Amino acid sequence: MARYVALRIGQSLLALLGVSIIVFALMHLVPGDPVRSALGTRFTPELYAALVERAGLDRPILVQYFDWLGRAVTGDLGVSFRTGQPVALALGQRVGPTALLAFGALIVGLLIALPAGIVSAVKQGKAPDYAANTFSQIGVSLPDFWFGILLILVFARMLGWLPPGGYASFADDPAAALRYLLLPAVTAGVVTGAILTRFVRSSMLEALNAEHVRLARAKGLPWRYVLRHHVLRNAWIPIITVTGLQLGTLLGGIIVVEIVFSWPGIGRLALDAVQTRDYPVLQGAVLLVAAVFLLLNLLVDLVYARLDPRIRVGAST
Amino acid sequence: MRIRVLALAAAAALLTTACGDGGGGVDVDDPDAGPGENGEASGAEGGTLIAAIGGEPDQLNPLTTTSSFAFTVLENVYDTLVQPGDDLSMEPALAESWETSDDLLTWTFQLREGVTFHDGSDFTSEDAVASLDYIVAEGANGWRFAAVDSFEATDDYTLTIHLNTPAPNLLTQLGNFKGLSIAPAEAIEAGTLADEAVGTGPFRLVSSGADVIELEAFEDYWGDGPHLDGIEFRVIPDEGVKLTNLETGEVDWIDSVPPEQVTDLEGSDALTIGRTAGFDYWYMSLNNEREPFDDPDVRRAIAFAIDPAAIAEAAKFDAATPNETAIPEGSFWYHEYAPFGHDPDQAQQLLDEAGVSGLTIDLMVTNEFPETVTAAQVIESQLAEVGISVDIRTEDFGTWLAEQGEGNFDAFALGWLGNIDPDDFYYAQHHSEGVNNFQGFSDAEVDELLDQGRVEVDEDARKAIYDQAAERIVDQASYIYFYNPDIVEAWAPHVTGYETLASAATRFVNTRLER
Repeated sequence: MARYVALRIGQSLLALLGVSIIVFALMHLVPGDPVRSALGTRFTPELYAALVERAGLDRPILVQYFDWLGRAVTGDLGVSFRTGQPVALALGQRVGPTALLAFGALIVGLLIALPAGIVSAVKQGKAPDYAANTFSQIGVSLPDFWFGILLILVFARMLGWLPPGGYASFADDPAAALRYLLLPAVTAGVVTGAILTRFVRSSMLEALNAEHVRLARAKGLPWRYVLRHHVLRNAWIPIITVTGLQLGTLLGGIIVVEIVFSWPGIGRLALDAVQTRDYPVLQGAVLLVAAVFLLLNLLVDLVYARLDPRIRVGAST
Repeated sequence: MRIRVLALAAAAALLTTACGDGGGGVDVDDPDAGPGENGEASGAEGGTLIAAIGGEPDQLNPLTTTSSFAFTVLENVYDTLVQPGDDLSMEPALAESWETSDDLLTWTFQLREGVTFHDGSDFTSEDAVASLDYIVAEGANGWRFAAVDSFEATDDYTLTIHLNTPAPNLLTQLGNFKGLSIAPAEAIEAGTLADEAVGTGPFRLVSSGADVIELEAFEDYWGDGPHLDGIEFRVIPDEGVKLTNLETGEVDWIDSVPPEQVTDLEGSDALTIGRTAGFDYWYMSLNNEREPFDDPDVRRAIAFAIDPAAIAEAAKFDAATPNETAIPEGSFWYHEYAPFGHDPDQAQQLLDEAGVSGLTIDLMVTNEFPETVTAAQVIESQLAEVGISVDIRTEDFGTWLAEQGEGNFDAFALGWLGNIDPDDFYYAQHHSEGVNNFQGFSDAEVDELLDQGRVEVDEDARKAIYDQAAERIVDQASYIYFYNPDIVEAWAPHVTGYETLASAATRFVNTRLER
């Protein structure tokens, strides 16, 4: 197990290094000049040259990369071109809200997917199955900006039950935080739930059709007992994997939901950074999301290995 | 001659403008503010106003930011020496009075006594000099003081400005907007303005974060007010959602309203719409350094083919006024002149005479300002009528600016925001040495007029000069002007004492919450 863990950590670090190279290269290869953009209408050749020098953009790109990487390792992600604020600080302010929203969405997703997927598999080919399939079909094709605005219209404007956007931190006011969280979490969670429903259903079906399950039923074990001890236990593993990956996707992919609901998260920060060519902020944000994604992946694999010894064995051969 | 501003561009105009919102609402009451300590500057008497703005300020140093969202906040935190009044002429603020020498090269300002900064220190002429020197050296607006030789603190409450050449627009340059704020000399030297706002305005910055910026009433404010306990600015990027926030009472005031809803909402009892003709303008320009756009007749042909009214309607619904010149009706400097109208026949004739056919124009617009994209679509269909095809190139703003700087375009569309003085409207954009003359327009007559306008101190004579310059610029189609958008804000009915201003200044000093 120790060897497997070390191997997976090593792989994750390599992947992160790869991400850092790609991110850095992309930022510098896309058209649009960050300094020109930061200056806007203040542009003069003198000011431009001074800023380029101050930002170190006149150095060879490899030197810039290693300089950036060296600092990034120590947690220094540089300073925003636009605001002059340290990138680590800007990201630090946004991580909480984004994580809260992502977890909220995941919980909504699981609350939908687990019952829907299980019922749909157990009642395969019957009405509940069709209903669940229809839901997941609609759910995955729902544009989140449209669905978010629809929820705002219904629950904030027409019914007046919930605020139409905004944010409060859990630490300051848990009740307000929940009120603000509900609509954006449902918006992002419905899509996640739709995707997860399919995985839950298919892994349940696979487990239901396994030979040991049929044997258990054949020897007359109660159906509920079989379901709990033989089916769910096996179906669980792929569901955990996909759930972990979905959480990673949510963390990096709720930009639109953040914009619609005025949520002060990383997505909105990254979008602003793209528009203003604020390299340090964008690089930091992408690197952070990639690191979290890889970390989640690693955790999922480790949990997985713990639950299923075959995975460990496979890795060490 | 220490100020060589060159180039600092243009702009008065802050290219980042706010998009408005409207809102209504209700909100936080926290009536714990007592009356101010000194009688006439009464302190707050009630409530925190929740204001929604469309984006995050990039920073809160008024002297270096160019973000309109930053100014929406800082308008209430800082003061300038003079400030725009109702008719946009400059009125006393931190300066109480001023006089000019006979040769017009020395301006002497008597500063207000008894003004306190938010950190408790007294405002004196040293602070004014430090702020203005800093603006010239490092601020975003140093170009405004090209005519200034030096700023001098003659005594504690006397500021003398020495000029190299007469500067008839000096007052406007000192008070146009809060980019010209006065901050304490100490904070400027220490370089702490970005972290800690220290102004003399009616509200003090308490905290700023990604989601909320909080101001509270400053009890030692020198003027009347404020009447609120504080203001809380929230960032709500989506215009429709921002309006819903007002309608549901989450916020009390919003900085813009979706243009297509303005007319409907004006009759509503649920909220108040503040609307006034704005000083921004939107336009397109053709690359004068490329054929065939180097020929004024070709540029004119395109101006004849385009219908500014149709563009205004498409881009802003009813919330804009078509205008073939830059300066809006209602300004002292407005000059009625509209030689083009919409005349495809005339356009075709000019193109035929110039021997131009089968022309394709690379028109650069940016999704940062969606009105440019809408304008481009209208232009495309109108130019098709005269056999010109348009390739609409939509860039993000960073790329757009870089391409503009390098001259990689046949044409571009954009806007200029927040100008007041005619020199701001024309010099940087149309003088052959103007720093924002990206279209490469060069006309000896315009250059001469714009140079004269900079030194003519008689207002009527100066207006005559700019009227002539405006006609020439329009005739030569250096810019093809579309419209002036209205400034539209909205607030809840219980918000009183707030007024939407043509200068776009968002002043909450007289605002009250009456619920």
